[in-house]
Amino acid sequence: MKTVNTLLALILGGCIAVSAQARDQRDYHEMVYDSGCKTCHDQGMKAFPSDDSCLQCHDMSELAEQTKREGHEARQNPHDSMHYGQEAPCMECHGEHTPKQAICMDCHNFDFPKFKQ
Amino acid sequence: MQTRRSFLKFGAGAAAVGALSPLAVSANSSDVEWDEKHEIVIVGSGFAGLAAAVEAGKLGAKDIVIFEKLGVYGGNSTLNAGQACFANTDLQKQLGIEDSAELMVQDQLKSGRGYASEELLRHSAELGPYIYQLTKDCGCIYRDHIINTGGTSATRSHQVVERSGAGFIRPMLKTARSYGVKTKIRHKFEHLITAKDGTVLGIQVRRGYHFGHENSGELINVKAEKGVLIATGGFGANVSFRQALDPNLGNEVGCTNARGATGDGLIAMLAEGAMPVHLSFIQSGPWASPDEGGFGYGAGFSLYNFPHSIAIDRNTGQRFMNETADRKTRADLEVQRRDKDGNPNPALLIAPKHEAMKDPSMANVLKYNVAWEFDSVDAIAKHFDLPKKALKKQIDDWNLYVKSGEDPQFGKRMNMSTGIYLTAPFIVQRLWPKVHYCQGGIQINAKAEVIAAKTGQSIPGLYAAGEVSGGVHGVSRLGGCSTPECMAFGVTAARSMMKA
Repeated sequence: MKTVNTLLALILGGCIAVSAQARDQRDYHEMVYDSGCKTCHDQGMKAFPSDDSCLQCHDMSELAEQTKREGHEARQNPHDSMHYGQEAPCMECHGEHTPKQAICMDCHNFDFPKFKQ
Repeated sequence: MQTRRSFLKFGAGAAAVGALSPLAVSANSSDVEWDEKHEIVIVGSGFAGLAAAVEAGKLGAKDIVIFEKLGVYGGNSTLNAGQACFANTDLQKQLGIEDSAELMVQDQLKSGRGYASEELLRHSAELGPYIYQLTKDCGCIYRDHIINTGGTSATRSHQVVERSGAGFIRPMLKTARSYGVKTKIRHKFEHLITAKDGTVLGIQVRRGYHFGHENSGELINVKAEKGVLIATGGFGANVSFRQALDPNLGNEVGCTNARGATGDGLIAMLAEGAMPVHLSFIQSGPWASPDEGGFGYGAGFSLYNFPHSIAIDRNTGQRFMNETADRKTRADLEVQRRDKDGNPNPALLIAPKHEAMKDPSMANVLKYNVAWEFDSVDAIAKHFDLPKKALKKQIDDWNLYVKSGEDPQFGKRMNMSTGIYLTAPFIVQRLWPKVHYCQGGIQINAKAEVIAAKTGQSIPGLYAAGEVSGGVHGVSRLGGCSTPECMAFGVTAARSMMKA
């Protein structure tokens, strides 16, 4: 166990140097990995990134536009929902290193076909 | 609880292991290192917290903060059908509905089965028209139609057009911010900070908290000048806590609550010596569906359809309850529906499509596989493996009750379904209760002050409102009666703090 922890610490600590493939990652974020862990981990490597972190590259209102739904489903837009408007932080639904599901799915059987677990 | 004594203990212990963080509180409460100071500190961003913030803003408070543990606002208050029972509103008068605060109190006392607090119910009911107006002033929009909920003797459940608590929460959050209220997510309330005499001085908060990661973020001490309002909701999502209080409520029973409904605020106040009341009275929602998580869409569908629909036991093909009885009566009967091995065999709610289609909930349940359409009684019997003859007879009998206006089987109030016959095609939803609401909590008085168990007196500086408080509703709360009560005591707490 100790070895594992030490190893993990090494990987975390030397993230920039060590190939990031050691951790689950999203291929489409490859460029971000190339710039180093701290690109997202703006609060230190032991803490979750801040909720603003993803918004360095992504824009909530643009995302809301991209996931816009019509008619009956209009308020099921995960980036502009009836319950949370455009205020749900990215990490409520998206995980970079861990699979997650949209917070909506706690209560609803919605279909988000483009969602990448 | 963090009294001077426990400050000392904590300080010494932490120092001994060399883990004393720079933010750790000092040995004497008078020189606690405060990281933030606010006039009014509110924990929780649901109905109670937001109503308090809006009222305090109206009363001229300059520095109000709301701490929300989750990443999103509204807690459990945004996950419901958006109903609120008010008595004696303009809308009721327009619709020719006679009602009064007194009648509402009497209905609630009955459902409370002798345990409800008449004083607190009356306080809340009398504030009803004020709350109704306050929400409208915030921009909440009500439907023109008022709906019936179980256990009420007058139609009084006002519903926002969204048919969701979100229709209250979003406009109230916006209004609160317009008063300069600071709203902060990912701030988890850890415990109260008190002076030696028990007066609440402030709270410790975990800033940057991520739900489920208990050590995430950092601890900060927040001073409250006028008071701390704990509006953290119930503990329905805390399975071990609720099962300790009611052994029937293990994992087999779902939960409609937001994931954050873990009872943190309640537990912290108990640690401070607050008086616990009725903790074992935990209510399950009889309108829930086992075919989706949480509150979902099924609740809205069954709420609309219960008056003119029947609930059927799958073994007998017959009704087993008054579909508009109070929640406890129905949930207790629903959970008894079992197959021969004792496994859950959820009852069926059978609704006539010609009526169900008048509410948008039907489209939702059909689309997301929470209910299904059938062309005939035969088709229902075949699909769900029901005794066909018995089911047919039950439906025929029911239609006679609709015609005569009397339900000799279970005594249901039939004036809600006049002329609405149960005919094909049918919409069928399964029913299985989910833990919904904790009637119990800590004791408050009509000023929303928290009562100490040891003295029976209020704890200075500490207020509570909403589901975290207990004893208001007694054994069983009526539908649509939490929302107005949360807001009434939130408003009351704000008024008390502004006077303090």
